[in-house]
Amino acid sequence: MTFPHRIRTIYVKELIDILRDRRTLIAMIVVPIVLYPLLMLGSIQAVSFQHETMEQEALRIGVADDAHRRMIHQLIHVDKRALAEKKASLDLQSEEASQLPTPLDDVEIEVFQSIDDLQRAIRERRIPVGIVFDDEMLVDSIERQVKAHVHADYEEPRGTTAARRVEGLLTRTNERLRDLRLRERGLPKSFLEPYTLESVDLSAPSSILGEILPLILILMTITGAIYPAIDLTAGERERGTLESLMVCPVPVIDLIVGKFLVVTTVAIMGAALNLGSVTATVYFGGFDKVIASTGGQVPIGKMVFILLALIPFAVLMSAIMIAVCSFARTFKEAQNYVTPVILAVLIPGGIAALPATRLEGVMLVMPVGNMVLLAKELLLGAVVGPWEVVMVLLSTTLYAGAAVAVAANVFGKESVVFADAGSLRGALSRKMVKPSARPSVSMSLLVTAILFPVWFFVQSALSPGLDEAAVGQLYGTARWMPLLFVVLPVGILLYWKIDVVNALALRAPSVGHFFAAVLIGLSAWIPAHEINVLQRSLLGTPETIVQSAERFIEAIKLLPSYTAILLLALLPAVCEELLFRGFLLGGLRASVGKWGAIVISAVIFAAFHFIVFRFAVTAGLGVILGYLCWHSRSILPCIVIHALHNTIGVLSVLKPQWQRYLGIADSGDSAAEWAHLPLPLVLSGMAMLILGLFLCRNTGKTAAP
Amino acid sequence: MDLVVADNLVKVFPTPDGGEKRAVDGLSFCVGAGQIYGLLGPNGAGKTTTLRMLSGLMVPTSGTASLAGYDVATQAQEVKRVLGFLTANTGLYQRLSARELLVYFARLHGHEGHAAEARADHLIAWLNIGDFSHLRCGALSTGQKQRVNIARALVADPPILIMDEPTLGLDVLSNRVILDFIRRERQAGKTIILSTHYLDEAEAMCDKIGLLHDGRLVAEGDLNTLQREAGEQRLSSIFLKLIHADQAVGAAGA
Repeated sequence: MTFPHRIRTIYVKELIDILRDRRTLIAMIVVPIVLYPLLMLGSIQAVSFQHETMEQEALRIGVADDAHRRMIHQLIHVDKRALAEKKASLDLQSEEASQLPTPLDDVEIEVFQSIDDLQRAIRERRIPVGIVFDDEMLVDSIERQVKAHVHADYEEPRGTTAARRVEGLLTRTNERLRDLRLRERGLPKSFLEPYTLESVDLSAPSSILGEILPLILILMTITGAIYPAIDLTAGERERGTLESLMVCPVPVIDLIVGKFLVVTTVAIMGAALNLGSVTATVYFGGFDKVIASTGGQVPIGKMVFILLALIPFAVLMSAIMIAVCSFARTFKEAQNYVTPVILAVLIPGGIAALPATRLEGVMLVMPVGNMVLLAKELLLGAVVGPWEVVMVLLSTTLYAGAAVAVAANVFGKESVVFADAGSLRGALSRKMVKPSARPSVSMSLLVTAILFPVWFFVQSALSPGLDEAAVGQLYGTARWMPLLFVVLPVGILLYWKIDVVNALALRAPSVGHFFAAVLIGLSAWIPAHEINVLQRSLLGTPETIVQSAERFIEAIKLLPSYTAILLLALLPAVCEELLFRGFLLGGLRASVGKWGAIVISAVIFAAFHFIVFRFAVTAGLGVILGYLCWHSRSILPCIVIHALHNTIGVLSVLKPQWQRYLGIADSGDSAAEWAHLPLPLVLSGMAMLILGLFLCRNTGKTAAP
Repeated sequence: MDLVVADNLVKVFPTPDGGEKRAVDGLSFCVGAGQIYGLLGPNGAGKTTTLRMLSGLMVPTSGTASLAGYDVATQAQEVKRVLGFLTANTGLYQRLSARELLVYFARLHGHEGHAAEARADHLIAWLNIGDFSHLRCGALSTGQKQRVNIARALVADPPILIMDEPTLGLDVLSNRVILDFIRRERQAGKTIILSTHYLDEAEAMCDKIGLLHDGRLVAEGDLNTLQREAGEQRLSSIFLKLIHADQAVGAAGA
């Protein structure tokens, strides 16, 4: 049976099994379909009922003396007349007429002994609102301007409503008195107001639902993943079915991938049902009109879009949940593990949900946070560039892949499967580790997945400001790269008693492979250049990329040749090959087959360069390097290729005159830099590359992985 | 020809206090084709750990073992293809019917398409579980569950069966079903390793018995050999005598 057949078998069985479970059905179907409409209808109706009640209540206003009481009666009288006049001037059927406020007919004015007394009454909620004028106010006097203070407990709904009604009264009468005075003196309105102010909001229409919805859906997606993840891992152990599954001739990774796909499916189905239920409640419950009347919008047209953005999130959460639950032996243990993970996930999710957080910088690679941000940006109608989308999807895929690999490693571990086989902590102690030849796929993927955001952060921190030269970045990279790409993986290998020489493929290559490496290293830049030129002519290059490349080139020019070659060619060649072709490819080697290992390591290699416009070329180079490493079982030829390739790049900046010997125009301008190479050069370069690959394939025998 | 060979098997577990426990300590034995080998011993003797190592569920700390020529440490997938595994505690998927469960395991063992269904139907007829094969496993009685479990262990028609206390906690009727099944499988030429606490069962069924104590084999042979060595007739008396002798040796050594 092939891998897809096995995955399908496991997937179908697990899906049937989980969908027959009453608890899943309740969590997935009953909660969204019954609970949401009930909760939404109930809460919104309760709020609107409360609001209406407060609006219709007789308004009670507190004042500090009798003079104030008279003043307010006067103002109410002015307001009534103004409203009556305004009403008479309007068509009763018009929208403006329908929006006219109702006059304050039944106002109770309560006189307190002092301002302190009034304020105390407001704090004790004996009266909702109070008005204090800082001087006696005479409606007809124009001698001075009087300040009116509205006192209320603005935290309390009754206080807010009353204050709003009083402020409405004061604003309307203020305008009315102003208009009357202007009219008396024959002055136009523009006498006092040279211009009127109106804000034109060009932002996407905000929506209460649109802002809350992503959060609800994220929580629901997590909730949707929890139960099946526990049931399919710890539940399997608790019910005693795991042993019978583990004695089947099926690799653990297949079992985990099948289970992971089921958890993802259930999480997405849950999210879709939640989304559908919210949409239906809003639409059929008439809330779209309520929300629209408050200036909001219901993003019903975006629902499918939101769901699509949720899929990668569901994938990542399912992978994390499966990995976490794989550590547990029982349902209860799994629940204990899941709670802190949810909290940990909500932190980046919460940061991403903050209004000011944008999809840029470290947020691009922040696990979970980047997905939430992507969904938010799409929902708010922001334009998200392809580079951002690629970064988010790539990093999420890497994290999810690492989580699934960890789950596969842990799920089958005897210390987790059998309670009497010691604790997992004991099994992880160095004493119990058996020496092995190479890292496991989960170890290499997990380390790479952790290094990814760390490296991105290092690069972001080192990247120069707009006016700075990039020399500091080059030196900074040279300090950090050996530490993260070499010292860290080697340390991990040593701790786990893994044969470093074998794991990192440090053996000597055959002469044929070495020769192949020289051929490829000298020629790979030619097709790389042609692909770059082609890509640029088809897709163009953003100005920021061009600028950063120019600053980079300027920085190289500031360095002595040998330093530039050391920093940009030799050091990356050694460090990157040790990490990507040594540690990563070594771990993938036994688990995903030749092309799986080569392609995955090449894609991750390209992703670590964080330049989407060079992604194709870097990944292509990664495939060639991986292919050579696979066949030679040594990273030394890869270091040769990498170093030669980068050296040629450095020399084309520092000593461009050598290009003349190959017939390349050296005019020094950027147009020449993006021109196609002479055809004979391209053809001979391709021939050298193909010869190198041919040599690589046919030199010696490929040892079994 | 020996279908099962264990050679100096050792399994060490970490203990919570940071120490080590040797659950199996240099165990060697072999089982010929068509034989029933009884692995006996008190609780904690290392029987279950041994059977888990033989099934590829646990990796030996040192030593080797092979089933039908396949090494359990390096050829675990091949080992699992020639192996049927059954314990009294093995659970069933509660929300699948017995037939669905058998079809699922048949597929996992490489039967594709209708072949998996045909294999499940064959086992349902052969083990006479047709009356309840459409019911979900959660609704079955303990005896019915154990019969479904037998069918599950046989789904790949394996030449070797490993049974870890398969009759533990079963009533007399269910017990008989299991024992009848073991006899039938032996007649069919299967090699069986049986671990049990019920010594009369072992006495009646096993061609060869290995007595395990503290992870080591303290005696091995057919019933006659063990009777001669211990000077006792009943297996229970032999068992007690040999264990006590081993404990005495251990105490003297300490």
